[in-house]
Amino acid sequence: MALDPLRIEDEKPPRPAASGKKWVRVTKAVNGIDTEVWEEVADDSGGPQWGARESMRLISREIPRVDGPDKVTGRAVFSHDVRLPGMAYARVLRSRVPAAKVKLDLEPARKIPGVLAVVELGDGEVRWLGRPIAAVAATTPEIAEDGVRAILATYEEQGFAVTAEQAAADNAPKVNSRGNVRALSKNTDTSEIDKALEGSPVRVKGTWKIPVQHHASLESHGVVVDYRGGDEATVYASTQGTFTIPGDAAGRLGLKPNQVTAVVEHMGGGFGSKFGMGIEGEAACLLAKELARPVHLMLDRSSEFHAAGNRSGGEHQIEIGVGRDGKILAFKARVTRHGGVGQGSGHPLPYIYARDNATFVEDRCIHTNMDSSRAMRGPGHPQASFSMEGAMDECAYAVGMDLLEFRRINLPEGKRELYMRQLERCAELIGWKAHPHKQAPDRSDAEVKLGIGFAIARWGGGGNGQCKVEVRIAQDGSVEVLSGTQDLGTGTRTYCASIVAEELGLELAAVRARIGRSTFGNANASGGSTTSPSLAPSVKHASHNARVALFEKVAPLLGAKASELEVRPGEIRVAATPSKRIAWKDACAALGPNGLSAQGEWQAHLAGNDIGGAQAAKVSVDTLTGEVRVLEMVAVQDCGLVLNLLAAKSQLQGGMVQSLSYGLFEERVVDPDLGLFLNANFEDYKIAGAQDIPAMKAVFEDDPRGVIGMSEAAIIPGHSAIANAIHNACGVRLREMPLTADKILMGLAALKKG
Amino acid sequence: MKSFEFIAPRTLDQVVELLPGPRDLKARDRVKLLAGGQDLLGELKEYLVAPEQVLNLKTVPGLSTFAERDSNYEVGALVTLAELEQSATLRRTHAMVAEAAGAVGSVQIRNQGTVGGNLCQRPRCWYYRHEQAVCIKKGGSECFAYGGLNKYNAILGGGPSYIVHPSDLAPALVAAGASATIRSKKGERTVELERFFTLPSEGAVTRENVLAPDEVLVRVDIPAMAGWTSTYMKFRERSSYDFALAAVALALRMEGGRIAEARLVLGGVAPIPWRCEKAEKALVGRKVDAKICALAGKLALEGAEPLAHNAYKLPLAQGLITKALRKLAGT
Repeated sequence: MALDPLRIEDEKPPRPAASGKKWVRVTKAVNGIDTEVWEEVADDSGGPQWGARESMRLISREIPRVDGPDKVTGRAVFSHDVRLPGMAYARVLRSRVPAAKVKLDLEPARKIPGVLAVVELGDGEVRWLGRPIAAVAATTPEIAEDGVRAILATYEEQGFAVTAEQAAADNAPKVNSRGNVRALSKNTDTSEIDKALEGSPVRVKGTWKIPVQHHASLESHGVVVDYRGGDEATVYASTQGTFTIPGDAAGRLGLKPNQVTAVVEHMGGGFGSKFGMGIEGEAACLLAKELARPVHLMLDRSSEFHAAGNRSGGEHQIEIGVGRDGKILAFKARVTRHGGVGQGSGHPLPYIYARDNATFVEDRCIHTNMDSSRAMRGPGHPQASFSMEGAMDECAYAVGMDLLEFRRINLPEGKRELYMRQLERCAELIGWKAHPHKQAPDRSDAEVKLGIGFAIARWGGGGNGQCKVEVRIAQDGSVEVLSGTQDLGTGTRTYCASIVAEELGLELAAVRARIGRSTFGNANASGGSTTSPSLAPSVKHASHNARVALFEKVAPLLGAKASELEVRPGEIRVAATPSKRIAWKDACAALGPNGLSAQGEWQAHLAGNDIGGAQAAKVSVDTLTGEVRVLEMVAVQDCGLVLNLLAAKSQLQGGMVQSLSYGLFEERVVDPDLGLFLNANFEDYKIAGAQDIPAMKAVFEDDPRGVIGMSEAAIIPGHSAIANAIHNACGVRLREMPLTADKILMGLAALKKG
Repeated sequence: MKSFEFIAPRTLDQVVELLPGPRDLKARDRVKLLAGGQDLLGELKEYLVAPEQVLNLKTVPGLSTFAERDSNYEVGALVTLAELEQSATLRRTHAMVAEAAGAVGSVQIRNQGTVGGNLCQRPRCWYYRHEQAVCIKKGGSECFAYGGLNKYNAILGGGPSYIVHPSDLAPALVAAGASATIRSKKGERTVELERFFTLPSEGAVTRENVLAPDEVLVRVDIPAMAGWTSTYMKFRERSSYDFALAAVALALRMEGGRIAEARLVLGGVAPIPWRCEKAEKALVGRKVDAKICALAGKLALEGAEPLAHNAYKLPLAQGLITKALRKLAGT
């Protein structure tokens, strides 16, 4: 049974567990969108335990990434950096128009000296702006680009709709056969909710507008396909799913999946946009197959914006009825998702609050002739958070209630304690108590005004049983941990090594983590924050099994039973008689030339699920220029066992930065008449830089649960807290992102007029 | 980018020898001059220009002179923005110029970018910068920003093109009364920098300045401003690096707590650095108070005609004028 992960009330498994089994809620990433399902698994509660946290040497401590020096010195090889003998460089031709029938004459490209192969992509039908329609391989990237530009494309242009307004208009050109405006929910009867709204003494109504955000990964999408004829190939891919590559590539190369090895040593960000090979990966395979030589195809930045996914935008019309006591009595929303030719992730309203009352949510999407949205860090949640937290704030001010008290009243029963604890900690850290104007904006004549705002998040972050991990101990004492998993940027190598080192009593440097290769054990794609809660328990299991196997070998040497042994830094000893000991090297020497290999799989009891998280922002608003400066952000997060406190803090800070950037700057701009994407570059698509980043505090709560992925919770509430802080500062309520100076200045002018 | 011939001339004479004839407008994009390359490389990579030849000015001696004599400055076209930004003398005598140089782009861009390049850079309008939008600036018939998405476009001096001049340095240098020295085969000529920039309605709409196809900007001279104080205030959306949504270069000479002389030039609001002479005159003889700030702001923006999405630039520019006046008056 698939459950909506956001429905807090669905917390019970479908039936009692069978004997020896137990129910766990597991998160499965389907194309990056996490879906939570109840799964009956073996009751593994008696298996390896994480153990007491205070006695940990490496896990949950601040450990610099083992591959950090490689990355900052440029030694780390990303897919983009791969250079192979005889390699050709490829570029893609994108459709210049949003909708057309296209005919291509490839001959002029083929005639250019240095062009090696040209392939057509797609079927001549273009439904979205920038769709790749051909690819050229050449001896240099520059010649490939010349080749792309030499292709003669004849467009039989069709009417297009690149904005939601255009698509929803009468007589709008049809984006697809399903209709431009598509209902995604069935119930349209609002009579009951309207009655409840009418009966509410205080009502807040508004429309929130959410722009399309881009993933803007530093490394663009792409692959290097190493195929030189014959029956095997290696694909170096910038992907968040090592194991999503071989099947895709094999199909295009005419090979079997087990004849293709995917390699993902390092990858430069994905944020949900890099599952599978994409059109660009297919193109590289087609070219490599034709040429029987390696092909390098990485998208340029413009293609990255046009044709590599985005976070769906949307519009939320919300109406809330509130009692004088601050209790929300009725919640009505109409969600419209803008996902291009795609449907967009669900924007789960009402977000967290107001679940015990009359609620009505209509869900629909508007299709446009733009690239499909893809999953993006916390799909749907930051969108829902923006309107919900804004509306919550408006309600609180309208009934004249403290922002936190109003939230307390309207949090669902089972979550109240968690969120209030986190919100109050945020309030303490950001100085809410001493803040002079809590229930109204600063109405003084001050030129620069200060404001504080709050918002919360919810995520699953549970693991699942899709990882197979191997730990090898060699006769010379060296240790390796192997998993096919990819490092999305979260520090996977480091915790793989640290878990093993912790288990075996070794220094971190003594364990080598090898990841990112599909010939290693299976691992899940990194979506839904499922990587560490799936992988870390599997690594723990494998290292536990390795230790037990090693004890079996060593026990006779110490004249004891395996169960009587324990590891201590650099040695194994008999727990009850510490003088009976053997140094690590000597113990491993007993393994013989074959060494030792142990496997591990997911252990449900070593993972957890279901997290909250709260953030607060303090901003200054310059009423003369409309300038917003975020002065401070704080985040308080639960996430079970923290694997690496340093990496976790930077992940939480990264979430704050990305949501700040979403709130203050990011917006795709498309000209509706020309059908052109106007800011498909890093100049006009603005992203926060170092000077825009505030002082940040990232705080983790003590949380006795196992490992939980929290990266997505980190990006959900920040921009909402900032929008609320802007209102608290100067009285301008922005219901449309990005929260830029032009809107604030116009808002201030409107306030002045009254 | 399209392939081109890369030429490294050894003298200025060789440079001007390679330039097209003075009226050879068609050929003007056939040869491009490379200084810091911060603008040209973008134009090449986006296929906005596809020259046959690129002349590297960095190999030409004598263009990097940065000399001061009695607070007069000679600034070669290839002096970097970082040099201006970091000159303690300039910061003392012409603060607005040093501040404007420091407000350009990022550290990397300022280390590469040059004075000449900054003054001659092309517009940043996103229609101009989109290869497929053949706008009036690129020989088309229409300014797409006018009826389109014009948040960053001009509110003053627009028509038939509504670009804003992107240079930070230009308003500050105009306010400083700087002049530009231009070289061609015929020799040198000098124009006041204020006359160097051209409105789309008065010069060629595809250009932003008076340079003819056979000319190259070689030097800027900044006269001394004894007794003046000045500042450059720029508003950008993203603090880390961004072009101005509006900017103010303000210079004041105070006498006994009152303004004796004023120069006020706006950036980011018009196709040229926008000199506000009416406001300058109104400031003379006045003390800086709220009333005069409001008056100067009103006069400076007189005649502004905001487009659909940029009316905010009025209060923004006025806010910056107020801030600049207060800063220089120390109030």
